[in-house]
Amino acid sequence: MKILIAEDDPVSCRVLTANLKGWGHEIVVTNNGIDALEALQQDDAPLLAILDWMMPDLTGVEICRQLRAENDKAPIYIILLTALNSKESLLEGLEAGADDYITKPFDRHELRMRVQAGARIVSLQNNLRQRVLELEEAIVERQMAEETLRSMSLTDHMTGLHNHRGFYNLAEHHAKMTRRSRTKSLLIYADMDGLKQINDTMGHQAGSQAITAVGEVLRNTFRECDIVARLGGDEFAVLAPNVATPESRKLIERLRNNLKAYNDAGYLPFELSLSIGAVEIDHTYEFGIEDQMAKADAEMYRDKRHRKAQLTQRT
Amino acid sequence: MSPTNTTVDQNELMLSHVPVDLAILNSYDEAQEEGEPDFVVELIDLYLDEVPRIFNAIHEGITSDDWLSARRAAHSLRGSSNNLGILQMGVIADVLEHLTANHQIAGAELLLCLKNEFARVEEILLAERQRRMS
Repeated sequence: MKILIAEDDPVSCRVLTANLKGWGHEIVVTNNGIDALEALQQDDAPLLAILDWMMPDLTGVEICRQLRAENDKAPIYIILLTALNSKESLLEGLEAGADDYITKPFDRHELRMRVQAGARIVSLQNNLRQRVLELEEAIVERQMAEETLRSMSLTDHMTGLHNHRGFYNLAEHHAKMTRRSRTKSLLIYADMDGLKQINDTMGHQAGSQAITAVGEVLRNTFRECDIVARLGGDEFAVLAPNVATPESRKLIERLRNNLKAYNDAGYLPFELSLSIGAVEIDHTYEFGIEDQMAKADAEMYRDKRHRKAQLTQRT
Repeated sequence: MSPTNTTVDQNELMLSHVPVDLAILNSYDEAQEEGEPDFVVELIDLYLDEVPRIFNAIHEGITSDDWLSARRAAHSLRGSSNNLGILQMGVIADVLEHLTANHQIAGAELLLCLKNEFARVEEILLAERQRRMS
C-alpha cells in the first residue's frame, strides 16, 4: 500500500521508512506539513498517511482538519505521530479527524499492527466505493434498458405489464447485474386456472377481463422494482430482486390473499384462480433465466395438479 | 509573554545513568534490509549529524525570543533520542521542551546540560559504529 510519511525529524523519519518498506509498503516522504498536504491532495494520493503532530508550517492536526473539510475526495486514513501523551492532546487530534495515533518512541510491533488495521479499513472503504460505483452504473444501465424497452413497445397492451420479450430482456439484464452478488431473487411463474372455461361459457370479453384483473392483482401485490409480466395467454411471471427466503413465502402468501380479497369483493361474476410455481435464485452461482423459468414452470404444474386433486376430492 | 527564570536542578534530570540503551538501538537490526548498508550505522550517522543542528536551533530560538522554534527543536530531539534509546538526552529534551513552551529562560542552562550529555552519547555511539564497521 502507498503510505505517506510526514516527519521533520530525520531519525524518526528514517526509522519509519525502513520499517514500512520492510513490510512491503510503498513510501512517499515529506518533511514538512505543507508538502504533506499538497501530496495528499493529488489525485493519486496515498490513502494512508502517518503525520507527525509537530511540524514546521503546518502541524499534523491542521492537515487533518483541512483534509476532513474536503468532502469530495476519497477519505485518507490518518495516523498521528505524537510525543505528546496527554489525553487532551490525543482527543484534540482525534477530534480534528485523525483515525488513530502512535506515540513516540514507537514500538515496531505496535506500529505494524496500527498500519495493518489502517490498511484493512482503507481496503474496505475502497471495496465499498467500488460497489457503490458499480451499483450506480447498474442503475443507469437498468434505466437505459427500461427506456429501450419502452421505445420498443415491449409492453403487454391488455394488462400494461411487460410482455414476454420485455420480461426476458429485463430478467437477463438483472441476472447479469447481480451475478455473484450475495442477494437472492424470487422468480414466480403463474398460470390462470379455468381461463378456457370462462372464455367458453361467458365469452372472450369476460376472458379479457379476467386477464386484466390478474394483471391488476399482480401489480398491486409486488413492488415497483419487481419485474411483472404477462408472458402470453394465461401465463404470468414475476422476478422480484433482493428477496430473502422468509420474504419469498410472505410474497406468495400475499399474492394468494390479494387474489382472495379481489374475489371476495365480487368485482367479477367469476372467480380468479392462479397456479403458482416459485423458485429462489441464488446469485452466488451463475444462472440462466431460461433454466430458472423451466424450474418455476415445473413447480407451477405441481401446484396445478395439487389444486386439481384437492378440487376433485372436494367434489 | 516575557521570559521567566527558573533554576533547574540538574540532579533531578539524572533519571537514567545509561546514556544509550544499546538494546533499543540494536533492535533496529530487525529492519535491516538485505544487501543494504548497516541500518543502525545509518541511524547513528543521522543522529550525530542532526543533534548539532538542533542545538543551534534551540540556542537561536532562546536568544532571539523565538520560543516556538526552540520548542520544536527540543521536541524533535526528544523524539529522535527516545527512538534510538538515547534516553537521558530524551529526558532532558522533554524538560527543555516544557520550559521553552512556557518561555522560561532556564532553557539555556539545560542546553548546556544537553551538550555535556551529548559528549558522552557521541562517544558511545561512535564506539558502537566502530564495532559495527569492523
